[in-house]
This record gives sequence, C-alpha cells and structure tokens, in this order.
Amino acid sequence: MSTGPVGEVAPSGTVTEDGLEWRRMHPVTPVIRSWKAFAGIIAIGAWRFTDDFSTTRDFVADGGWRFVLAGVGVVVLVAAVYSALAWRVTRFAVGEEAVHLNSGIVFRQQRQARLDRLQSVDVVRPLLARLAGLSQLTLEVAGAVDSKVELAFLKDEEAVALRAELLAKAAGVRRAAPAGLTAEGGPTADAVAIVPEPVEEAPERTVIEVPVRRLIGSIALSGVAVAAVLVILGLLGTLVLTFTGRVDLTDVVSGNLVVLVPAVLGVASVAWSRFSGGYGFRAAISPDGIRLSRGLLETRAQTIAPGRIQAIELTQPLLWRKAGWWRVRMNVAGYGMATEEASTTLLPVGDVDETLLACWLVLPDLGTEDAVGALTAAMTGSGEAAGFTLISRRVRFLSPLVYRRNGFLVTERALVLRHGRLRRVVQIVPHERTQSLGLDQGVLARALKVAHFTLHSVAGPVRPAIQDLDLDVAHRLMQDQAARARQARALDRPERWMER
Amino acid sequence: MSATDVSPFSPPGVDFTGVSDALIKVRVILSSIWLGGLAVVGAVIAVLTKAAWVWAFPAVLVAFLLWALWLIPRQVRAIGYAERDDDLLIRKGILLRSMVVVPYGRMQYVDVNAGPIARSVGIASLQMHTASASTDASIPGLPAAEAARLRDQLASRGESRRSGL
Repeated sequence: MSTGPVGEVAPSGTVTEDGLEWRRMHPVTPVIRSWKAFAGIIAIGAWRFTDDFSTTRDFVADGGWRFVLAGVGVVVLVAAVYSALAWRVTRFAVGEEAVHLNSGIVFRQQRQARLDRLQSVDVVRPLLARLAGLSQLTLEVAGAVDSKVELAFLKDEEAVALRAELLAKAAGVRRAAPAGLTAEGGPTADAVAIVPEPVEEAPERTVIEVPVRRLIGSIALSGVAVAAVLVILGLLGTLVLTFTGRVDLTDVVSGNLVVLVPAVLGVASVAWSRFSGGYGFRAAISPDGIRLSRGLLETRAQTIAPGRIQAIELTQPLLWRKAGWWRVRMNVAGYGMATEEASTTLLPVGDVDETLLACWLVLPDLGTEDAVGALTAAMTGSGEAAGFTLISRRVRFLSPLVYRRNGFLVTERALVLRHGRLRRVVQIVPHERTQSLGLDQGVLARALKVAHFTLHSVAGPVRPAIQDLDLDVAHRLMQDQAARARQARALDRPERWMER
Repeated sequence: MSATDVSPFSPPGVDFTGVSDALIKVRVILSSIWLGGLAVVGAVIAVLTKAAWVWAFPAVLVAFLLWALWLIPRQVRAIGYAERDDDLLIRKGILLRSMVVVPYGRMQYVDVNAGPIARSVGIASLQMHTASASTDASIPGLPAAEAARLRDQLASRGESRRSGL
C-alpha cells in the first residue's frame, strides 16, 4: 500500500484494485488526540495535588515541579508521536456494501461495517475539534459489543457529506451501477454523469425544540436538585455550628469540607452534564431517519435510520408532574447501555404534545383509531379505559397504589406497557421489534396465580416488562404477542428502507 | 374465573420434549465434586483444629449436597422445549418457573457447548442468541445428535425467516 506524502490527504486518496477509494483522516487529528492525553494528565494531577495543599506547597518550593513538567512533556510527546503514527496507518473507504476502516500500529485491524445493517450515524464535535472545524463520524451497526466505526476527525463539511452518502447507500439509493469504478481504478464517465457528487443530504424538518429555560427547570426539579439542596443545607449547618462556636473551625475545614467539597463537585458535574448534554436539543424528521442534535460545548448530531428504534420509554418523575413534562428514552441496537446517557435520550424534557410527537416519530401509526387517546390513557390514565388490561386483582393488597394503573394495551402495531403511580412510566415496543418473550413465576406469584411477562429488547435503557398478570391473561399475551410479532416482521420494511 | 384452567407454562396443543436423563448424572457429579470436595476440606480442617463447632461447615455443605441431590432430578425433568412452526419454546423450573419464546427469525446465532463430563455421557447444551442480551434461551442436556440436529434446524429456519433487527 502506498502511503503518499503527509500533506496529501482525503478526499483524493489511493484507489485499490477493488475500486475502493481509500481516504485518510484530517491531519490535525493527532494534535487533538494528544491534547486529550495532556488534558487527562492535568486533570489527574490537579485532583491529586488539590487533595493535600501542604505537600503541594513543599513540593513546589523544593523545585519538584520541574520533574513534573518534564514528565508531562514526555507523556505528551509520546502521545503525540503515537497519535501521528496511528494517523498515518488509519485509512477508510466507503464501498457500495460496506465501510472499511484500517487502523492500528502494532495490531492491525481491518473493520468492515455492512451498510444494510446501519443503525445510526452520529456526527460528534468535541470542543477542541469543534474549534478546529472538525467532526467525528460514528457509525453504529448492530453488533453485540463494540461494533461501532469511528471516523475521527474529518472536516465538518466532509463529515456531513459522508453522512449523507452513507445514509443514501444504506437506504438503497443506488448510484448508477455498483461497479461504478473500472478495474483500472478510475471512475467511469457515465457513473460520474449519473450521480451528482456529493450525494445531496436528505431535507429535514424540525419538529421538536427544547428551550433552555425548560431544560434548566427540568434539572431544578430532579434528584440532582434535591441532592444540591441537601449539600447546601449541610454547608449552612456547618456554618451555623462554626459561628455559634460549637465546632472548632479547623475541625470543620479538615473534616466536614472533605466530605462536602466532593459532594458539591459531584452534584455540580451531574447538573452540568445534563445541561450541556441537553442544551439546544432539536429533533427533526427526514427521509433518512430521525435527526437529533444537542450539546453546548461538545455537540452531537445523531441520525437514526428509519425503523431502527427498538423500544421507547416515557417517564415522568413525581416532581415533573405539575409542569407536565416527560422524558423519552430509546433502545437502539449498538448504542447499548455503555454509551453515555445522552445518546439514548430521544427527548430530554418535553411537554405532553412534544412527547406525543416523539412517539409519533418512532411509530407514525400506533395501530389504534384514537392514538392520542390511547397514549393519554397510557401516560396519565388508570383503569381499563382505552382498552387497557390491568394486572391481577389478587395482588392489590401488595400493590395498592398501582393495581389500577399497571397494565398493558395491545394495538395493531405495538405493545404499550403502563406502570407507576408516583413515577409514571410508559413503555412502547413495536411488534416487529420484539426479540423474544419471557414468562416467569416465583413461589409467591404461583400462590397468587399470577405470572410476570418480559419482552426482550436490545440492550438499552428500556427493559419492557410487566409483573403480576392473571394466568389466563399472561397466557393469551404470550401466545398472541408471538403471533403478532411474526406477522409484523413479515410486513416489516426492508433493511434498505428506500427499496420496495 | 377461568384463570385456573389455563397454565401459561403449558400452552394447549404444545408438546414439550424433555432433556436427557444423563444431565442428572452430570449435574450430580458436578455438585458432588464441588460441595463434596469442600465438605471434605472442611472435615479435614475440623479434624486438625479439634474444635467441635468447626464441624458445622462440612455439615452444612453435606446438607446442601443432599438437598441438591434431591433437587437435581426434579429440576432436570422440569426442563422442556418445543419446536413450533415459527418459534421455539423453552420451559424451566419447578418453584421458580420460567418460559421463553424465541422466534426463529430473531435468532442471530446458536452455540452448542459440551464440557468434559457432559461429553463423556454424550450430551451437550444449546444456546440461542438474539439481538437482545436478556434472551436466556439455553437448553442443557440435549443428546449430542439431537443438539446437532436442532442446531442445524434452527440455523436453517432462522435463515428462511430472517429479517432485520
């Protein structure tokens, strides 16, 4: 493989015999990567040294800081050299069927991600990359562990163009013939003539925007705020005790502060990450899927291909009830639990209308005549209204609050589970996204003649399940759900969603 | 109320196939090795320390072993599976009963495993994987030939009914 001069980079890379045009990441990539190492060291160092001020003072007075500086320099240099080498060997190519990524200095890795399995394409811009006008493109294909392909970093325009190209290919929008490139490696004249290059991005229409005010409100009315209040009370208590002379100031500084400072930092960092993660949230709809964008310093623009959302969950914590807010989270294959909370949030905080809209984005047809009525019953209702089946009456002495609330609704297209009197939860799973079904029964459940139903979805924040169903209800749900899931799968759209 | 007539764990018209009794042997051997071995270690320590209360450990372990020996045959006989047209049913447990329905079209891959003891009595366990990590679809104690047949059957059915995720 020819490496070419360092200055020569994408998009005019080498073309191999199989017609793949290999490209490199942007040459600034190693700088950004080694900056991460530098920032990491500084953060760790700051943490260690602020722990104990007196030793730090001695250390600085002794001139030990010179060694530290040298150490940091060496580590950053190593990181820079490593990143530069990694950049040199990293190449990617977009074929008709797959995205290829070759990387690794010592252990070479060649990864192919099949485009028909594409679940989502995220354009992530960490702060520094954003300042440099660069983006990271993350492709998620449905694999068990670590199935994503990260292309970091590309020029903003290039990343956006590439996203459009990938989504178009994944959708099955063909450019001329698959063999658009001749064996010699040059693009044939007609291929270029037929396909306008670059692929035009599918138009999008914004449907939901979360105002900053509401985002702040939602954080203020959450567990984080409760924790913050406790911390402030703790601080005030300490101050009062100090000023009334019951506690010696030195005790406070050495004892109480040690506990409170990390608590303050913890609360602040959670609140901050919620704020910066949800800042400027926008949901849009386009032919190539649902577009979600958000972020204050690091921005993240997700495109989730149509039909790739496996399950959604609407939650309303007790504190949000008065404001009528809901949070919507989703399961997308490959996102899993490991990735940060931000990427599995479909709507960080929305009013009832926006929540309904978010449901509509996932399931344009709920499969009932009165979808709004059914969803309203699911969100705030109780009893058997709108066709809900409740959990067994025999457990009402065990769960007096929820036995009229917990229940399920089966529509033509989806299973809707409703839970919780104080913290309201609604789970919705389209029938064609059902993986497998489970039923179990413990000793107590057996005595009460009830069983627990579980619907297995891909890994994610939503774990659809309902406890304490009457045995005949559980039996029917199990059998019918299996049949419905089968029929829905048969009618499901193809993986390349623009085909058919 | 008709709730008592139907048990969701034995749907009408579905015949469950039991697993091989050889699994009882395997599980008995395994728990004997573990619990029995630990009990022997405990007894040795008790003899060496000459303290009467130390005998409580081996006694508890032996009690566990006896309980396991009583439980294992019942547990194994409670395991059953049924191949339907479009899905596979697996049923387990006596006190904690569970059933799982896995559609063939949802299957990503099948594993067949056999440890040394299981191999010596000619059984294997089969596990199906879907895109969901929470799908616990394993059938232990299948005769090796049946495991191979089922594996191929599942693979071919999965192929013909395959759809996306």
